[in-house]
This record gives sequence, structure tokens and C-alpha cells, in this order.
Amino acid sequence: MARVHALFGGWTVLVLLFFYAPIVFLVAYSFNSSRLNVVWEGFTLKWYALLWRDNRLLAALENSLVVAVAATALSVVLGTTAAWLLHRYRYRGVRTISTLAFIPMVVPEIIMGISLLVFFKSVDVGLGYGTVIIAHTTFCFPFVMAAVQARLVGLDPSLEEAALDLGATPLKAFWHVIVPYLMPGIVSGALMAFALSMDELIVTYFTSSSASATLPLRIYGMAKVGLNPMINALSTIFIVATIVLLLASEWVKRIRR
Amino acid sequence: MKKRLSSLFAIGLALGAALDLSAAKKEVNLFGWSEYVPQDVLDKFEEETGIKVNYETYASNEEMLSKLLGGAAEFDLVQPSEYVVEALVKAGKLEEIDFANVPNMKNVGAEFLHQPHDPQQKYSVPYMAGTVGIVVNTEKVKEPIAGMADVFSGKYAGRIVTLNDNREILTWALRTLGRDINDISPAAAAAARPVLTKWLPQIKVYDSDSPKTSLLNGDVDIGVVWSGEAAILFNEDKKFAYVLPKEGAHLWIDSLVIPKGAPHKADAEKFINFILRPDISVLISNAFPYTNPNLEARKLLAPEQLANPASFPSPAKLESFHDIGKSAALVDKLITDLKGGS
Amino acid sequence: MSAPRASTDNSAGAKRDPRGIGWLLLTPLLGWLGLFVVLPTAILFVYSFCQRDELGQVVFSFTWSNYARIFDPVYLGIFGRSLWYAGLTTALCLAIGYPVAYFIGRSPPSRRSTLLLLVMIPFWISFLLRTYAWISLLKGEGLISSLLQGMRLLTGPLDILYTPTAVIIGLVYTYLPFMILPIFTSAEKLDNSMIEAALDLGATPVRAFTQVILPLTKPGIFAGVLLVFVPSIGMFAVTDLMGGARVPMIGNVIQNQFGQARDWPFGAALGITFLALFAITFWFLHDRGEVRR
Repeated sequence: MARVHALFGGWTVLVLLFFYAPIVFLVAYSFNSSRLNVVWEGFTLKWYALLWRDNRLLAALENSLVVAVAATALSVVLGTTAAWLLHRYRYRGVRTISTLAFIPMVVPEIIMGISLLVFFKSVDVGLGYGTVIIAHTTFCFPFVMAAVQARLVGLDPSLEEAALDLGATPLKAFWHVIVPYLMPGIVSGALMAFALSMDELIVTYFTSSSASATLPLRIYGMAKVGLNPMINALSTIFIVATIVLLLASEWVKRIRR
Repeated sequence: MKKRLSSLFAIGLALGAALDLSAAKKEVNLFGWSEYVPQDVLDKFEEETGIKVNYETYASNEEMLSKLLGGAAEFDLVQPSEYVVEALVKAGKLEEIDFANVPNMKNVGAEFLHQPHDPQQKYSVPYMAGTVGIVVNTEKVKEPIAGMADVFSGKYAGRIVTLNDNREILTWALRTLGRDINDISPAAAAAARPVLTKWLPQIKVYDSDSPKTSLLNGDVDIGVVWSGEAAILFNEDKKFAYVLPKEGAHLWIDSLVIPKGAPHKADAEKFINFILRPDISVLISNAFPYTNPNLEARKLLAPEQLANPASFPSPAKLESFHDIGKSAALVDKLITDLKGGS
Repeated sequence: MSAPRASTDNSAGAKRDPRGIGWLLLTPLLGWLGLFVVLPTAILFVYSFCQRDELGQVVFSFTWSNYARIFDPVYLGIFGRSLWYAGLTTALCLAIGYPVAYFIGRSPPSRRSTLLLLVMIPFWISFLLRTYAWISLLKGEGLISSLLQGMRLLTGPLDILYTPTAVIIGLVYTYLPFMILPIFTSAEKLDNSMIEAALDLGATPVRAFTQVILPLTKPGIFAGVLLVFVPSIGMFAVTDLMGGARVPMIGNVIQNQFGQARDWPFGAALGITFLALFAITFWFLHDRGEVRR
């Protein structure tokens, strides 16, 4: 078995190289003064300067953040309460409700996109921030729900009983006892929702307007027009931010232990 | 209590984002062709007037119509080509422009006004004109290319980029058959089908956003592209020659129009007037060297720009598109079917 | 401290009867689902039987023609091709990703979290940016082309970009993390003693793998397959960028109907058909993947 393990280990290294080679390439060429991304012509920071001055991209980044924060907040509320209620009460048709709640998570994004588009058109709602936030919330909240449900598996039922016995109302018991217990699940679900919202393209494509265009939409537009080292620069910033965030969260996790 | 508060907070956040960011700023929503309006022009407009321009793009008239009429998005300015202006005017979808707000209209050449699509010049202001023709990388392609039949002879299969535009593609076939390009009947579609069945598999890339990219990358050697793209290629490297097909080519005029019910009509007219200033028009020509209808602006262009054969072509067999009404569905269906088959 | 087994088995602290308050509290969820999941799908279904006018707007007159058009060999071909590419992508992700997931899952905890982090980082970086990286690398005058030509492995410029091969590369690159993570979860939970027992009983490593490990990681495999197969069918962005709008998968055709082709009803019909196919696939995988407790 040890040999198999070693073999798989070698394979893993190759795959990781495959993962990271394009990323390294992206970062390296963001400093290349040539526009054509092939020949190295000299080190420069000009693409970063151009990026900083590109109002449309910065506006798109702002939009992405606003949408992601709002969608994550709504998803947390929706997903946590849904998971808790389905756990606590014996609903008739719980399987149907559960399946329905997980549909947005599994259904192909393009179907979600076009169905929401025809829906908003039918009720004459203008496309914009509202519609994008609704769309993102709809496919993000099942992830929060799943994460909280996983956490609920380990919940000692006597916990709530004890709180109630001590005179708390069910609402107070939920807020002061259950939610703190669920927090790791909520946080991990929220992080997932945030990440998905920031990277979402397809549903956003069908439900947004030019004012509310998110970063992935702008990048898609830029990528269709051709290669541009500004995208390399943007990627580098993303990569650095991602690594920093992930390392930070790992560090926080380790401290907590 | 707290739970309800946090729900309210979250919804408030969402609503706040929706309302706050849209109502407070002065802005104008421009729905235009991609690679057509330079960012510095939009920035200058915002600097001088304080009005922000939200620029959303499309790469074909049909895509624009789909979003304009289908989605509930509200645009103040759109840039349809001549045959689409015709259709929109007929359908009553455009606002009449108040030309008292657009004094710079006098800069536009008379030959671009009172066209069949807007005979009384009530609804549109010409933005740019141009052609659709063949660009050849003469370093790779040594034989003379005179028309579409040469492009699709089979010698260059897999080395061709074309526009991703259903109507354009169909008319190229119709012209080689000697048919009227504005008569799109089931018979015409049927006649074009075998031609296109032979042609489409030879195309490597469909790109209406920036066809110059694959030519510059060396992924293709011949393209059927917008004249402005060819002009940019020519400026980049003189090896890119522009040829107008001998059987005829599309002469198009894109105009700025204001859709009915636009939320910021007065500001939109301000923008149109701004674009017509010669110094601003020159900025547009510098970035996107199409045929500039603004005669005052042409006086400010450099001799090389005026000499660019793609920007200001010599006389050739040129015709414009007309609105084909219901037949548009035929065009879309034919090309969708044929593209899918390859 | 032993925790209860499953959240549905709540015999210790009995689940309460919802009565009025339970249902009332559930209304936000039900309302949201009804309004933004059920209703839109219903409207899409209605649209699929409608027609379009000359400007491309929807006209509410009933017709079967959209569905009839789907049975045209062209579209059956596109569905078939999409399923084939998605299937190929999934198979490749499985073949490439399984060993990685297994290795990480069976590694000692300290190394495990580092390795996991290394896999997660690309996952968190926008898939668009990663696809874009490949366009640069694969183009005719790009880095890989020059390298291969320099090494005399190629006689002319690399001709991969804008072909199905490029699309598959793009899709595999995008979805590989989605295959690795669920399998990793399954592999992590594997009981070492079972594997050791199998080996002690004389099984070769290969047999231990196929008879013990593989079946035990089935839930992870099925989850991974679902997370890769379904989205890759509808992923029009990757096929657009890597395929030059030339490799039409069903996602591209649907997107086109809501764009240039201006045929919303036909797009809706394609969407509903796709949805039906998806539901069948999901049912199939879900039933097979469930581990009986």
C-alpha cells in the first residue's frame, strides 16, 4: 500500500504543477512590459497603474462586493433558519421541502439564469442590484443550509431543553444557545456563499444591468475582446488576496484550537 | 427580537444597495457596440458635466434588440445600425430627439442624413459609418482575394475568422448567388443553405467583439470583419490588406438613438451633443478608425488616418441593409441550425 | 462524548409538532422558494410553448414547434455532443482527481491541511481568470507553442486554441477542484483498519483498492461526478472563450437564443429539455450514491 501511496503522492505533485503553472504564468506576465504575453520585454508596473485608474473595473469590483455581502447576509438568515426549523419541527412533506431547498444548489446555472430572467420580465421588474442579489441569494443559501445541517447532526438535544427549563423563550434559546453552537457551520457556509457569489458569472449574466455589472461580467467582456495584461495584473491581485485570506482563516482556526 | 432585527438589517442592506446606488448619481445608460466608445471620452463627459455614463455592450444588433426589448433594463442611448433604426422607428420604440439640445448636429456630413431609415432625421444621429469586408494577412496569403468565393475556396479552411452575425453571414452567401440581400424569403434561405453548409465549417473563430485579436495572434490568416477592425490592423502592420468583395459589401451607418421611456432623455441629448464636438469625435476616430460622418472632425484628423483604406475606402459596390420584418426569424433559425451542425 | 447519529433520527429530543408557529416561521423559506424557484421554472415552461415576433419579442400563442425543433438532428446532435464533452470532462476529472483526493485524504493531518489549502487556492481564484491564463498559453504564438516548437516536438505553430481539445482542457481545469473535494471528504473518513484487514487477508493492493476502497468512497465519487458533469454542460463562458464560439454546447445555444438569435421560446424549450435530462441524471446518481446506513 505504501507504494500506491507514494505513487499517488507523485501524481498529486504533477497535478498541483498543472494547477499552478498557468497561475504562475499569469502573475509573471503581469509584470511584462510587452502587451502580447509571449516575449519577455522588461519588468514594469504599468499594468497595475492602469488597473488602478480603470474606473469601470473598480466599479465592477465594488458591485461584486456589495452583491456578495448582501447575498451572503440574506443566505445566512435564510439558510440557518431553514436548517434549524427543518431540524426542530416534524413537517409533513419535509422531504419535498428539503429537495426544493437544495434545487438551486444542484440545478445548472444557465437554467437558473434564464428562468429568473423570464420571471423578472413577466413581473416587470427592472434588472439591477436587486435582481442580482436575489439571484445570488437563491443559489447560495442552500450551501449555508447544508453547512448548518451538518453541524446540527452533532447537536445535543438536551441543550435547548436545558435553556427552556431555565426559563428562556424558544427564541431566546435559539439566539443565545443554538446559534453560538452553530457558528462554525454558519461561518463556513457564509464563506462558501461569499466565494460563490464573487465568482458567479452565468446567472449574473442574465439578471444584471450595466450599472450593476459584477467583476466576473466585466472580466468576461474584457477576455472576449482579447488578451490584456491588465487582466494579468487583476489576476495577481486576486491570487494574492485569496492566499492571504485563506492563510488568515487557517491561522484563526489554529488559534481557536 | 434579535433575529427579526438581523433579518430586517439584511433586507435593508439589500434594498439599500439597490436604491442608494441607483438614485443618487446623475447618470446615463449607454448600450453600445463593444470596441466603439473609448473610455476616455466617457471619463471626459463625466468630468465636464458630472454625469456618469454606464456603458454596457453588445456585439450584434440582434443581441441588442433582445436585451432592449426583452429584458426590463432601461437604456438612455443605443447604437443600432441602419436597418434596426428602421425597425425601431416603425415599431414606435424611439423618442424624437429634441435637436435644440444638439446644436453640434451641423457638424455631420449631409450625405449621412435623411437616409431611408430615418428620412426626416427625427430619431437618430449618425455615430459612425463603415463597411464589412475582407482583411488579408498578405504575408501568409499570397494569392489575390477578390470576394467571398475566394475566401471560402477551401484553401484557407480553419484559418478564417468572421463576424458572429447571422444576418451578415447570410448576405455574404446571397451576394455570391447574385440575389437581393434585402429579400430574405424561404426561397432565399434555401438557396443559401448549401453555400453556407460549405462555408461555415471552414471558419475557425466567430468573433464580433474583436476579430482583430485572432488575426494579430496569428491564429487565423483571413477575416471578414468590420472596417474599423481592419483599419486598426493596418495601423498595427501594413501586411494586413483590406478588400471590399467585388460582388458587393455592406455599407452600414450606426446611429445614436434614444429608446422610448428612457429615464434620462435630456442628459442623453447632452451626451450626443458632446460626441459631435470635433475634438471629441477625433478621440473616437483615434481609438476606432471607422468612417467618421463628422466633417468638422475629419478636418482635425492626420493625413495617415484619412489615407487608411479601411477607414475611408475608395468607391466600391456598396449597399445598406433594410428592415426585413418577420424574416429575421428565418435568418436566425438558418444560422443556428447550420452552426450547430458543424 | 457520543453525538446522535443523524439529524433526522431525533428520538432522544423528540421533534416537535409544527402546529401554527412552525409553519409560520417557515413561510420566508417557502415564499422565497416559491417565488424564485418554482414560479420562474413554471414561467419558463409556459414560454417554451410560445412564439416570437419579428422584433424577437415573445408572443403568447401556443405551439409545439419549439419542442419539435429540438428533435431536429442538429439539436439532438448538440445535446449529444454536450453530454459527450461533459462526460469526457467528468471522466478526466475523476481519473486525474481521484488519486489526488485519496492521497490527501490519507495523509497525516498536518500535511493534509497544507495540501488541501494548495488545492483550494485555485478553486477560490475566479475560474474566468484561470481560463484566460490558458488562452494566453495555448494560442498559436504563445508560450507552449514556442516551447514545443523549440523542442522540435511540433513543426508548425500549436493549433489547439479554438478546438474542442482546448474546451476540454478549459473545462477540466475549471472543475477539477469540484471533483477532488468531495472524494477527499469520503477518503478522509475511511477506516484504516478495513484496508489493513483486506491486505492481511491476502488481497493485493489492486484488489484492496477495487474491492474495498473504491466502493467505500462511492458517495464522494457520485457527489464529485454530479458537481462536475451538470455544470460543465451549461458552462458557455469556457466554450465561448476557448472554443471561439465554434464548439456549440447546449449552454451556448441556449445563451444565444436569449441573445443574438432572439428566440426566447426556443431557448426556454431547450432549457426545459435540459432540465428534464438533468433531473433524470440526478435521480439516477442520487439513488445509486446513497449509502445505506
